[in-house]
Amino acid sequence: MATFRLPNVLNEVIHAHKDQFIRPTKPKNGVGAFVFPCRKLVFNYCERSGSSKSMMEYLQKEAIQFSRNNPQIEVVVQPRPSKHPIIRAFYTNGHQKTKCVRKCTTDEIPEVVKSLRDHSGHKLRKWNKYVISDTPSVRGIYSPFHVKEVHSITDLKD
Amino acid sequence: MFSIARTRLALAGRAGALPSRAALSTVTPRKMEKETSPVIDNSSSTTFAALEARLNLQFKDRSLMEQVCTHKSYEQGRLGSNERLEWLGKRVLNLYIGEYLFAKYPNLPVESLQDVQHANFGMSSLAEAGKHFGMLPALRWTSAAGQAQSVGATKVLGKAVQALVGAVYQDQGPVAARVFVQQHLLTKPVDIETVVQMKNPKMMLVELTKRKKLEYPVARLMKETGRFTSSPVFIVGVFCGTRMIGMGFGSSIKMAEHRAAKDALLKHYGKEIKSVQLPEADESDLTFFKQETESL
Repeated sequence: MATFRLPNVLNEVIHAHKDQFIRPTKPKNGVGAFVFPCRKLVFNYCERSGSSKSMMEYLQKEAIQFSRNNPQIEVVVQPRPSKHPIIRAFYTNGHQKTKCVRKCTTDEIPEVVKSLRDHSGHKLRKWNKYVISDTPSVRGIYSPFHVKEVHSITDLKD
Repeated sequence: MFSIARTRLALAGRAGALPSRAALSTVTPRKMEKETSPVIDNSSSTTFAALEARLNLQFKDRSLMEQVCTHKSYEQGRLGSNERLEWLGKRVLNLYIGEYLFAKYPNLPVESLQDVQHANFGMSSLAEAGKHFGMLPALRWTSAAGQAQSVGATKVLGKAVQALVGAVYQDQGPVAARVFVQQHLLTKPVDIETVVQMKNPKMMLVELTKRKKLEYPVARLMKETGRFTSSPVFIVGVFCGTRMIGMGFGSSIKMAEHRAAKDALLKHYGKEIKSVQLPEADESDLTFFKQETESL
């Protein structure tokens, strides 16, 4: 039975390129430059319902100042009739977060806006480890207080 | 009744006029039937202004960011696309990434330098950076695949990032472009080990020592444990004369030797200069665009 085989030269080339696959490196925010994670805020309100009362007040009084203070965020105001007012935040990593501000007082809405603005956009998780490392050591985090005397810095003096 | 138009007027009236630089827009919805797509995430002029502010840029030409984010596939290329900026940006990126890598890895051979650039600053890596900037929703393009919107997004996004660098160069000058590239793109960790190809490290090491006119490399067993068990471990060091140049481990002496030679090679080729000294760039060095505008 005749089997088709690539010539050896080609095989080598393909093999070499298989080895060479490299995952694109992801940038680390804050190293070099910090890119603000929240990119867009959408304010939805209803003109008639009472639950949007303080939301409309916020839009009239503070929204412009907010967008002026935060030029890195795109602010969109959009009516959504017969629905509760919501604030939807979009983040650079593709995630979004929505908060309903029905019946909120005028003092509460800026706090909600602030929390959405300052969120990183990542999924909330519990951080159990004290050190996050790209190259974690098998032996754990180095501590100078738990090594034997032989390895201590005092040896290096002479 | 409280109308949308009045809301907008009221908003504008409170603060005098609508902010010129701030990104605020009022969207008037079309017919409010079923909410099929409640998430409105289209790009508008405010998106570009916000993107500009997010990257800490202030273009003199206000429509430049819009041009950067417009691919030639959008509206059959009737609007100004980022093609020319991308062409320029590619060259600018090549220059600044090239001078950086050249200064950072003094021992790396040309092929590996090329591979490092390709792996870390190639199209997919640039697209990753573009995603990080939040450029993806601002992009204006049409996928060739029709319904499948995401097909080809990586390439379009990567090109947009190149165009962005070109736009910074054109609008702000070479110094600003260099700072932009250094801050946003050259801060990523570069993994040399995956790039340097070593098929036969022992032979390569012998060749290297010959070229450097060093002594012939000799492998010596440093430590061992459990030679006659099912899981032995050997630690081998490679020596040039009395100096150890590399160390490796392995469950056989041959494997440990192999790793030690690889370690020695990586130490040599992957030598990194921590604080890179780049040649001084001056605004007056390159005045290509300025001259052009002056003559017009």
